[in-house]
Amino acid sequence: MTDIRQRLGLDAGAPPLVALHGIDKVFPGVIANKNVSLEVFPGEIHALLGENGAGKSTLMNVLTGIYQPEAGEIHVGGYARVFTAPQDAIAAGIGMVHQHFKLVKAFTVAENVHLGWADTPARIHRSVLEQRTADLSHKLGLAVDPGATVDDLSTGEQQRVEILRVLSRDAKVLILDEPTAVLTPAEAQELFVALRAFVARGNAVIFISHKLDEVLEIADRITILRQGRKVATEWAEACTERSLAQKMVGREIVLSDMRTRTEGVAGPGAPVLTLDGVTLKGRLTDVSLQLRAGEILGVAGVAGNGQRELCQVLTGLATPDKGRVLLDGDDIAPLGPRKVAALGVGHIPEDRLGSGLAPALSVTDNTVLREYRQPPVSRGPWYMPRAARALAEKIAAIAEVMVPDFAMPVRNLSGGNQQRLVARREMRIASRVLVAAYPSRGLDVGAINTMMRYFTELRDQGVAVVLVSEELEELLNLSDRIAVMFHGQIMGVVEGEQADIDEIGLMMGGQRGPQAEVAA
Amino acid sequence: MRLKLQRLHSAPPWKAFAARVLSVLLALAVTALMMAMAGIDPIDLAAQVLSATFGSSFGLEDLGLLFSPLLFTGLAVAVGLRIGAWNIGAEGQFNIGALCAAGIALFVPGPDWALLPAMIAAGALGGALWILVPTLARAYADVSELITTLLLNFVALLLVYYVATGPWLDPSGRALATTARLPVRLPEVWGIVHWGLPIALGLAVVLAVIFSVTRWGYEVRMAGSNAGSARYAGMPVRRHLIAVMLLSGALAGLGGVMEVAGTVGRLQGGISNNYGYLGIMVAVLARAAPLGVIASAFLMAVILNGGIVMQTQGLTTNTVLAMTGLILLFAAIGDELAHYRLRRLEGRN
Amino acid sequence: MNIRHLSRRGFLNMGAAAGAGLILPKTGLIRPARAQTALPPVAEADAKISFAYVGPTADEGWTWAHDQGRQAVEAAFPELTTTYVENLPYSADASRILRRMVGEGANMVFVNSNYGDFLYDVADRAPDVAFYECDGRTTLPNMGTYYVQHWYPSYIAGVAAGLMSETGKLGYVASFPVPSVYSGTNAFLMGARTVKPDATLQAIVINSWFDPQAAAQAGTALIDNGADVLFGIMDEAAYLQVAEARGVKAVMWNTDIRRYGPEAYISSIVVDFGAWYVEQVRRRLAGEWTPTEDILPLGQGVDRDAWGQSVPTEVAAQADAVREQMLGGWTPFVGEMKDNTGTIRVPAGHTMTERELYEWNWSIEGVTGVDG
Repeated sequence: MTDIRQRLGLDAGAPPLVALHGIDKVFPGVIANKNVSLEVFPGEIHALLGENGAGKSTLMNVLTGIYQPEAGEIHVGGYARVFTAPQDAIAAGIGMVHQHFKLVKAFTVAENVHLGWADTPARIHRSVLEQRTADLSHKLGLAVDPGATVDDLSTGEQQRVEILRVLSRDAKVLILDEPTAVLTPAEAQELFVALRAFVARGNAVIFISHKLDEVLEIADRITILRQGRKVATEWAEACTERSLAQKMVGREIVLSDMRTRTEGVAGPGAPVLTLDGVTLKGRLTDVSLQLRAGEILGVAGVAGNGQRELCQVLTGLATPDKGRVLLDGDDIAPLGPRKVAALGVGHIPEDRLGSGLAPALSVTDNTVLREYRQPPVSRGPWYMPRAARALAEKIAAIAEVMVPDFAMPVRNLSGGNQQRLVARREMRIASRVLVAAYPSRGLDVGAINTMMRYFTELRDQGVAVVLVSEELEELLNLSDRIAVMFHGQIMGVVEGEQADIDEIGLMMGGQRGPQAEVAA
Repeated sequence: MRLKLQRLHSAPPWKAFAARVLSVLLALAVTALMMAMAGIDPIDLAAQVLSATFGSSFGLEDLGLLFSPLLFTGLAVAVGLRIGAWNIGAEGQFNIGALCAAGIALFVPGPDWALLPAMIAAGALGGALWILVPTLARAYADVSELITTLLLNFVALLLVYYVATGPWLDPSGRALATTARLPVRLPEVWGIVHWGLPIALGLAVVLAVIFSVTRWGYEVRMAGSNAGSARYAGMPVRRHLIAVMLLSGALAGLGGVMEVAGTVGRLQGGISNNYGYLGIMVAVLARAAPLGVIASAFLMAVILNGGIVMQTQGLTTNTVLAMTGLILLFAAIGDELAHYRLRRLEGRN
Repeated sequence: MNIRHLSRRGFLNMGAAAGAGLILPKTGLIRPARAQTALPPVAEADAKISFAYVGPTADEGWTWAHDQGRQAVEAAFPELTTTYVENLPYSADASRILRRMVGEGANMVFVNSNYGDFLYDVADRAPDVAFYECDGRTTLPNMGTYYVQHWYPSYIAGVAAGLMSETGKLGYVASFPVPSVYSGTNAFLMGARTVKPDATLQAIVINSWFDPQAAAQAGTALIDNGADVLFGIMDEAAYLQVAEARGVKAVMWNTDIRRYGPEAYISSIVVDFGAWYVEQVRRRLAGEWTPTEDILPLGQGVDRDAWGQSVPTEVAAQADAVREQMLGGWTPFVGEMKDNTGTIRVPAGHTMTERELYEWNWSIEGVTGVDG
């Protein structure tokens, strides 16, 4: 790594754009960062790779002035700096795009770009702001519609607005936290083009991710964190997915076809759940699908093409305007989520903290959410806190989640642990069907593997599993069949074994493929 | 070596409690300082307040009479907060509760044993009715209950003024702006302290039990914390919201019943005496926990009683208002500070 | 329990007093029927006399006038101590403050407005303390009442107002629909009608004794309705200022506040409680005190103020002639009198007693706005 400046075509004495030296950051009971050092040079895309809880976000929050480190120094352009607030970091040319966008949804793109910006004209006029935004958009190579309201934009477009907002403040270092998690493959490619153009102008990008393939594709160098410590910084071309995965988790991970059943387990059986011509006020159009016992049905598609509504219809959260939802032959469409769950339909929701959990409530309260109505947690109208606690402990043990205090808010658990608890909670009630929406979103390789193991386990027990995902590889590894959604319709259903990525990609873009057979 | 502040994601309960206590002490200290600067001996005044409050059965009885309405309004606001609704209208519901109870007592003939329960029921119903429109607006149209409940306070206040000085004015001519003395009174339990106090304390315990060990309480907790997850689990979020807000109104209304039938004995304008607004503070200080309301309502009663002593010493009631305001301010600051801890660092520089 | 008991006893006392016919209309001084045992004497140096005021002493009105009385007590008995509380709320807090006064050792408590049960609850439990309720209508073994016969000066001012009004429309800023307001409006209009028979009076109730903003609004509204002389029962000068600004006249209450509207000022119903307070304290110290029901008569605690600069001499003379008659024993409050629905309320030949005037709770024909 001694030839780093040379490889980037820089002068021998050129200082890094930003450098972190020996950063320590401690939260009560947790060491988030320990002696982490990192140098980012002009012209490079530097990936920060690590499992959930490895300390990636914490490190970046230190760099952007949100946290103050207990030890260590931040250098910008060769000079030591102390950031006491995010504004300091922005002024120093460091901008961050968070996983959760910080946009005002009711405002237009132009208004969001100009919000809280010293360069905003004192007298604001709609057309002036939009013209300025259009100019910026053109200059920075990020196509946005200045007059559009943010709420109407897709997540990919919102991300572009967020990036534009950060870059407009003359950021020289752009930090992106899991930027592709919300993007379609095409959108991700567009983003990569824009990022390369950005660093070509002598800037740098820090790219936080846990997706091995895209890190290898986009990054010049990769820094791997594990348990708050830096494991290594490598040139991307010197790495493979396998070597990176090994460094991330400290053990070898095998990505493989998980379709094969173990000896003595039957393949897909009789139909369990059937959607028959389901239509939902402009979000779903004439969706027909059949789920069989003991199969995993993958649902592919760019996010926002009806997957959310499909899950809602499957779990009773939404009542279709037209069509039937048949569970073992009975129409469950009008029953509502509680009764549908009671019939054996589990649901790992897309948005853990928004709907799967109440973040401020205790681990116990959240873990018993599916069984609080039954003994032993409930006796008549009474809720038994001790029985609830016991059940929560049991579920946490199965989920292999260490919970220091069951009375603490569930938001204090890491994302992976939250997801494990939710998954195990749902698996307990999913005697017929499990609907899992983006179960691996935001999780690290180890946690994803656990999740996938859960699904095959259920499948082998004869449960029908619906797996909605944006990770094609994950779908291809696991699904017996893959349905592709576009604009609220099923474009086609392909057999998992014969699935072809290109074909699925075409269907995701709106081309029709082979149709699912629907039992009347 | 240097010291460093560190922010925690959630404050440990003991620290939050300590911050509460500290904020109260700090507010008292600041008030004392201001008094000392105004030439009043705060120690002497504090001694007088304490002896006037705790030193005689008169003082304790007065304390009890202040404690009871604050418990009702504090519980009303706290219950609303359990499902994320700010009932700023406890003041109005209190007035309407008093109005309904007085109406029954004045115009319905019957024996005490039948009238008292009828008054209690009417008052609770009246309070619930007074929050009905804000409740439905919130449940079905997502209209903020903050404004609607607040505005109805003024309507309730003027209604009571009108009734007490107009159609229901004491016909004997001996009372100037009140109704006649109610023929039915809430019996006393101790001195002049009536049944309102034990009923309120009992309600606090019952509510604490309901919220911690009933299935309904669990569902309300879930719906109040995250309506999304409650809906996901199939809980009737809207129905719970309506039920809890109506319960909140009913509790405030009950406070009005106890005040008119126990403490004042006649319906008159201003019978709520700001208890509804003070209830907001009581509930916030108690972090919306029913048992916590007992402690914070007691504290508030002592402070208000202290205000009486100050008034006879020639100080204005504004001092008391300033002090309650300071407590709330410091409690808010303390809540935030409870998220921090001080660390000693073996720093390199 | 004891509250209901108390109320019944208070009622019985009243009935006994009235039944014994001891309410003497012309003196205004009423003695209770049964001879009470007087409270024991108190050494002047040990005495504590407390005053609870409905408003602030700086109101230049009702409370200011009472505080002059308190200062007169201090001047007459330099060794005793007096204390006072301003802005006594009309709520259960009043009881708390009064109880506190008792707890601090008051021997005698004057409350300068009607607080009803809030006061009686306290008095009942403090039998060795003497209480007085101003504008009260209930007595207890240790509590009397006091007020002023303001209907006489109101009538006199009404004569002047009738002479000076061009529209014949009189306005009145009222606090609450209470007897003071009924007797004030009725007497004022009766006086005016002696010189302007078709005069009428419109009142606006503002639900407060002290609310300058509301009083000013009410005054403006009355003038907009054609009133050119305003009267009222406020503890401050707001509607006088409105009258001055709008070029109409006004009659005030309590004290001489002509400087807020020298041109508009006709007169004021001025009160002076000093001599009465000194006498009651003297009786308390001497061990002679038993409760009394006193309504201070014209010239002995209540009167018209010196006429304003814009009042013509002949108007002043004509009104003062009425005053002289009254001081000589004449009363205008003689039947037949009808209320504003036309019902005969005082039969022909009946002279209203001071008690009836004190408890007046209906409006005469020509008065609107008091009873809604």
